[in-house]
Amino acid sequence: MWELLIVEPFTNVLLWIYKIVGGNFGLAIILFTIVIRLVTHPLQAKQIKSTHVMQEMQQSKEWQDIQKKYKDDKEKLSQEQMKLYKKLGVNPFGSCLPTVIQIPIIFGLYQSIMRALASSPIQLLALTRSLYPTFGAPELVPLNSHFLWMNLAQPERIYIGTLAIPLLAVIVALTTYVQSKLTMPSTPSTGSRDQTAMMSSMMSIYMPLLLGYFAMTYASGLAVYFIASNLVGILQYAALGKVNWQNLLPKGMRSEKSK
Amino acid sequence: MKSKIAYIPLVLLGLGILLTGCATGMTPSSWPGVAADAERAYIAFANHVYAVDLRDGDELWRFPEKANNAKLFFAPPVLTPDGQLIIGGYDHILYSLDPENGQVNWQFEGARDRWIGEVLVANDTIYAPNADYKMYALDLDGRLQWAFEADQSLWAAPVTDGEAIFFGALDHFVYALNASTGELIWKTELNGAVMGCPALSSEGLLYIGTFQHSLFALDSTRGNILWEFPTEGWLWSGPALNGENLYLGDSEGRFYAVNALDGSEAWEQQPNGPILGLPLFINETVIFGTESGTVYAFDMNGETIWDKTLPGQVYGPVIPAGDLILIGQVGEQGTPILVALDQNGVQQWTFTPVK
Repeated sequence: MWELLIVEPFTNVLLWIYKIVGGNFGLAIILFTIVIRLVTHPLQAKQIKSTHVMQEMQQSKEWQDIQKKYKDDKEKLSQEQMKLYKKLGVNPFGSCLPTVIQIPIIFGLYQSIMRALASSPIQLLALTRSLYPTFGAPELVPLNSHFLWMNLAQPERIYIGTLAIPLLAVIVALTTYVQSKLTMPSTPSTGSRDQTAMMSSMMSIYMPLLLGYFAMTYASGLAVYFIASNLVGILQYAALGKVNWQNLLPKGMRSEKSK
Repeated sequence: MKSKIAYIPLVLLGLGILLTGCATGMTPSSWPGVAADAERAYIAFANHVYAVDLRDGDELWRFPEKANNAKLFFAPPVLTPDGQLIIGGYDHILYSLDPENGQVNWQFEGARDRWIGEVLVANDTIYAPNADYKMYALDLDGRLQWAFEADQSLWAAPVTDGEAIFFGALDHFVYALNASTGELIWKTELNGAVMGCPALSSEGLLYIGTFQHSLFALDSTRGNILWEFPTEGWLWSGPALNGENLYLGDSEGRFYAVNALDGSEAWEQQPNGPILGLPLFINETVIFGTESGTVYAFDMNGETIWDKTLPGQVYGPVIPAGDLILIGQVGEQGTPILVALDQNGVQQWTFTPVK
């Protein structure tokens, strides 16, 4: 089922784009990422809206009062927060959905990239069997795996003498961090941080590290996807007017309005 | 609350492990590479190269002794006349092992990608194709003599007439190089990627199959195409030349005998699955395996003499070993990676590596 619904369609769309752009697999990955982002845009917009509502709710007097009143009783605080969520019709996990949807896309895309690049005999066999007949697979095989300075089928390194620098992994970590910072809602002015804010803060640290690790360890085609996805994500937020540029500044330098 | 947040790294780690699983596919990335001498069979598969006793299939040694996921072996090992076992790894290293005990004689670390195809040993030289697009020529002590770069990966060994080496690449070209210097003599574009080793006749005709459903015959002196034989599916290996005919199987499960002089079809059969490996000839019998796991023995007119169904899938060539024939296979966990049959298709022993 996974093969039929995710890996095979992804692989074929990737190859279709590859054919259209004249045999540039890096460009095919970037265009594919844009397509995925466009397809998931309604969900993304819903998530951004949901995050915005949540942010407004967390800055309301009612919310601040609850934080102060039950600051020493975590259980009660949680119950009261849930009541408020219900009252205002806010789903506290609504903003997680696009992230959850990204996970099978990342898995599927990685498998599709590896399959399309077919760097081993079994992968090449699997590729020949997952291609739709209309694509004229035999003439496309093997794909050109080189893009800029990278071999997209291999983890990327820049060599300075004997020193191997995973430049792409660093860019992945940086763009992931910047994206999470730009799209993170501001924390309430009371300084009290609820679970959601805490989670966002933790994710902005762990996700860049994790994706940077993936980019360093796995085929660089995946890193190209991460970078394209992060940049397109920032553009999406910007287009909806939700990018919080102040979050890139140290706390002391942020303007009052953003707090 | 803090304890819940503490789970985040664990969840992310879990995702990482899942991605790793997806990435590697949890399956081997190729099938066993097999070679044999008078006493031992050598099998390159996944984390090890194994030597097994031809009398009973017992393991004699393995290299490396401890599995290391950075070191994977699938390229068929090759024995040199001076008693070395040459095997390339997915770790980009070409090893020379002592066939007696699996100790490393030397290793060549000059390549930048996987060793997928086997090497050719001729003229006291090791001609080694690598996925980094290069054909490397080494002396028998592993010292680089020359390297030639094609436009795509090289997955199969060359053939030689003593003066030149001939090989195909995934870039759709077939190349002829001066065997001593590595200088290009000619190159000819075919209609698809070349995954297999060509066959060379004593008359100087070069035969090579492509991924674009064609078998070509070329003049080995100039590289011009003499004839083309279309096949139903793509060709992974070969063809194999025996007498007047070429023998080859394709991805659609057709097995062909083709006249080597003019490319006309002598006969064609349809066994039970795709055929990727090179056939073996023993006493007017042609033997090959299918992806469905059946080993077939045909007479030279295409009539079935015997067949034997194995538990796994057969992708590689059938290897002769004295009175035995050896077949590497892949399958579910616990499936033997090597099966030894006698020349009538009766199973003699199997080899399953012990963890």
